[in-house]
Order: sequence, then C-alpha cells, then structure tokens
Amino acid sequence: MLRLVLFLLLLPLALADPAHAERSEAERTARWADLRHAIFGDRLVTEAEEAVAIDVPARAEDAAIVPVAIRVAEALAPDIVGLYLVIDDNPSPLAAHFLFGPLADKREIATRVRIDDYTYLHAVAETTDGRLYSAARFIKAAGGCSAPAGKDQALALERLGKMKLTLADRSTAGTPVAAKLLVSHPNYSGLQIDQLSRNYIPADFMQTLEVSYNGSSVFRLESDISISEDPALTFSFRPADTGSPGVLTAEILDSNQRRFIQSWPVPAAPQM
Amino acid sequence: MFVHGGVHEEASPANNDAIANIGFVLGDDAVAVIDPGGSALEGHALRAAIRARTDRPIRYVILTHVHPDHIFGAAAFRDDRPDFVGHAKLPGALAQRGSYYLRRLHETLGGGAEGSEIVTPTLLVATRLELDLGGRRLALRAHGPAHTDNDLTILDDKTRTLWLSDLLFVDRLPVVDGSLLGWLEELDRLTTISADRAIPGHGPAAVPWPAAAEPERRYLETLARETRAAIKAGTSIARAAREVGQSERGRWLLFDEFHPRNVTASYKELEWE
Repeated sequence: MLRLVLFLLLLPLALADPAHAERSEAERTARWADLRHAIFGDRLVTEAEEAVAIDVPARAEDAAIVPVAIRVAEALAPDIVGLYLVIDDNPSPLAAHFLFGPLADKREIATRVRIDDYTYLHAVAETTDGRLYSAARFIKAAGGCSAPAGKDQALALERLGKMKLTLADRSTAGTPVAAKLLVSHPNYSGLQIDQLSRNYIPADFMQTLEVSYNGSSVFRLESDISISEDPALTFSFRPADTGSPGVLTAEILDSNQRRFIQSWPVPAAPQM
Repeated sequence: MFVHGGVHEEASPANNDAIANIGFVLGDDAVAVIDPGGSALEGHALRAAIRARTDRPIRYVILTHVHPDHIFGAAAFRDDRPDFVGHAKLPGALAQRGSYYLRRLHETLGGGAEGSEIVTPTLLVATRLELDLGGRRLALRAHGPAHTDNDLTILDDKTRTLWLSDLLFVDRLPVVDGSLLGWLEELDRLTTISADRAIPGHGPAAVPWPAAAEPERRYLETLARETRAAIKAGTSIARAAREVGQSERGRWLLFDEFHPRNVTASYKELEWE
C-alpha cells in the first residue's frame, strides 16, 4: 500500500518534468528528505557509508538493466533485519525491500534495476533494534522504466515464470553458498506503451519473492516495477551443514496473482 | 539498384538520422524501396532521388527491421500507396517500441523529426516472399531472432546482390538487439548464399560476399565465447561489460558507445543456457 501511495504521489511529477537531469543538488536533497519521510516516517536515518554501501556504475550501459549491489559491513551484518533500495527519481521509488531470514548471508545482495532518469540511489539497512543506516550513489542513466520490453517476445512468453538457479562450487562445510537466481518475467512497468492500442501495457511485475532452504527463510523480497525484466538476484545463504543434501525453494507472486514455485537440490558440502 | 550510404554517427540534427544504408530497385514496371530512411526528411529526399530517375510507380516499401534509422522515412511514401512490406514479427515489435522510438527521434532531431511516423506494414513475410518488379524479381527472406527478432533480407536476381541490411555491419560495430546465438546461426546460412556482392546496413554501399561477413562473425563469436566464460566464472554482469571483448576495441567505429550494451544483452541471453 505504501508503494502504491508513493507511486500515485510521484508519477505526475515525474511525467510533468522532462528535464529531470537538470535538477539541482538542493532539489535532490529535498526529494530524498520527502521519500525518507514517506517510507520511514520520523525515524532517524543515519548516513553511514562504513556500515552500508551501494555499488552501481556511474553511468549505465543500458538503463533498463542496471546492476546494483548492496553491501553491509561484516561486523554489522548479524544485526541486520532488512535492506531497502530506493531509486529517488524513478516513478515508483521504493524498488526493493529485502527481509532477511535466519539463513541469509547479509553481507551482500545484488539485483538489476531500471533507472528512469539521472538519480540518486539510496540503500538503507535496518537493524534488529530499529536503527537505520543509509548510503547513496548517483547514477547517470535515463529511460529505463519506459524502455520497450525484450528482444525476443516469443521466447519471453514461452519462458514466463521459469527460474534458473546457479550455485557456486562449495569448498568446505560451514561457508556460505553463493547463488544466482534468474526469473523469466517481463516485469512490465506500466509505463511501456502499446502502439497499436495507444495504451500503456498494464503493469505486470514480480511482487514478492521468497527464497528458503529446507523450509527455513533465506530472504523475502518485496519488489516493484523498478526491477528489470527477467529479475536476477545474486545472494548467499548459510545452510545448516548436516552432511546431507538440501533443497532451495523460490516462490514468486506477481501483480496478476500468478504464483510460481521452483526447487533445486543443494549438494552437501564436502566434509573435512 | 541504388544505395544511399549512411554516415557512421549516432542520430543527430546534423544528419537527420540518415545513418543507415537505404536505397531502391528499379524494375521494368515498378520500383521497390529498401528502407525509406531514418526520418520523413530522409524519406522525402529518397523519393526525390527516385523521381529524378523514373516515373514508374513505387509499389513496395520494404522495412528491413524495426530500428528507427531504417523505417521512419516511410511516411514520405504514403501518397504512392505502396505495400509496406515487413517481417511477420514487425507489427508486434512496432507495437512494443514504435512510440518510444518516435519520442526519442523528436528529442534527438527536434524539428528534423517533423512528419516522421510509424507506418504499419501491409504485407507480411513469415518465411519467404517474391516481389516481381517487371523483368526483375526480389526474393525476400524472413529471419529468426538475430540483429532484431524481425530481420528481412533481399536477394535481387538481376544483379545477384544480397541486401542484408543490419544482419551485416561493416566498420561500424554490430548491435545485438535480437539474439547473439541466433545471429551466428543466420550468418552460417547467409554465407552459403551465392551473390556477387552484399549491401550492409551500415558500411560501404557494396562489399564482397561472403568475405565481408568475417569481421562481424569474429566479433560475435568473441562476444559469445568471452561472455560465456565470464558467466561460468561467476563474473558479474557489470564487470563483464567492462572486460569482455576488449580485443575488438579499435577494430570498430562506435565501439565504446555500443559494445558494453552488447555484452549486457549477450550476458542476459547466455545466462539462461
């Protein structure tokens, strides 16, 4: 609901002002203050680059597929319950909210996003006792939210909802397992136009993604139209190493109430 | 057969988006345009060039694929009431992208975009189609996803000329906007076609065939090989965009503008393997 309110509040502004790239630094600061208030209310958000970091290219190669990684300092990681990714000048600024489960490796998580205009990105980490730490990066990119979808439409439809998991090789038990999850979904932003009907293609996007291992949560993602077509998540998790293989499960609910579930075996780590 | 050579630049008010090779073919009875150009201005200039040579009717305007530098001149030919010929997937691609491209054209060219329109094809090619211009036949072929998912090529039987449009880039960096692997497959098939010359979408007006395909093949194969290796090694998409294919730098025009984007697209395609 918060996301919807933000969307409705901010969309007219975004459409009415074509020269966003020209915004002054003061306007950008004011915008972040507004967004911070809309998302976190009166809670204190502390700028803390040593606690949380956000990694994006300074200039995007393709504004519809911009890689973003959020990192949390090793010492702070155990206290983190969630991460917010805010793309200040996107039509729907709250791009992602990660809620970590007991098996998450919270030190780094990465995805790919759409960037609609020159903008700041903010990552905010939330601790178990309610502290909020933020980091910001500026990116030069434009047109990512309204950029037309996909290169091979037939393939995109045929693959809808399919997922692919890649696990890094594990050397020893007790170490986190690095994983990359790909989801085939157009993640229509609602801002892409169908020329024949002259209407916007209705938004159709991944709303939640829950990743679990043997029934125990790794993370839950509440996401939005800023996530790129074919959402990609790079994360690590810490399986309880019992010496037997386990199962990783990803469950998706999209904005059209479609549910997609897929599971993969995770081999046991070699025992020392 | 007449070709107007595009300049190796990005679209700008100085070039009116006349950056692709476009042209026309004269038969005994009729004229076929192959790509009307990147703006109505360029389309009108092309039409004037045709009318300076012949009064024969312009019966076909072939749209080789959805990209703006090839098709936004189409509106200049509306009054000739030709068949606008396109790949069976072109209407879908225009629906997805047309208005976005048109908006971008206006942003880029300003007043130079005036009159440019999205023209929907009236004659679709699903696999093959032959057009008879009188004493001369054009064999059109619809390709699988390669440069885009709606590429057409044209073989002129009279001059044994293969018009490849953007399935062939010479000098200017190829742009992958369909399927990298699909493009390599299409190249394998296309290079078996015997022709005296080929016309690239960007590059010289005529090049030897199939020899002229080699640099493009080398680039695409390098892109596929090194992107696969990056995915396998767990290299992130951001790092891959900086590192893959750097041996090709210096061999192509507009490399820095388009190569990182090609890597990003290829990474996204190949990570599903």
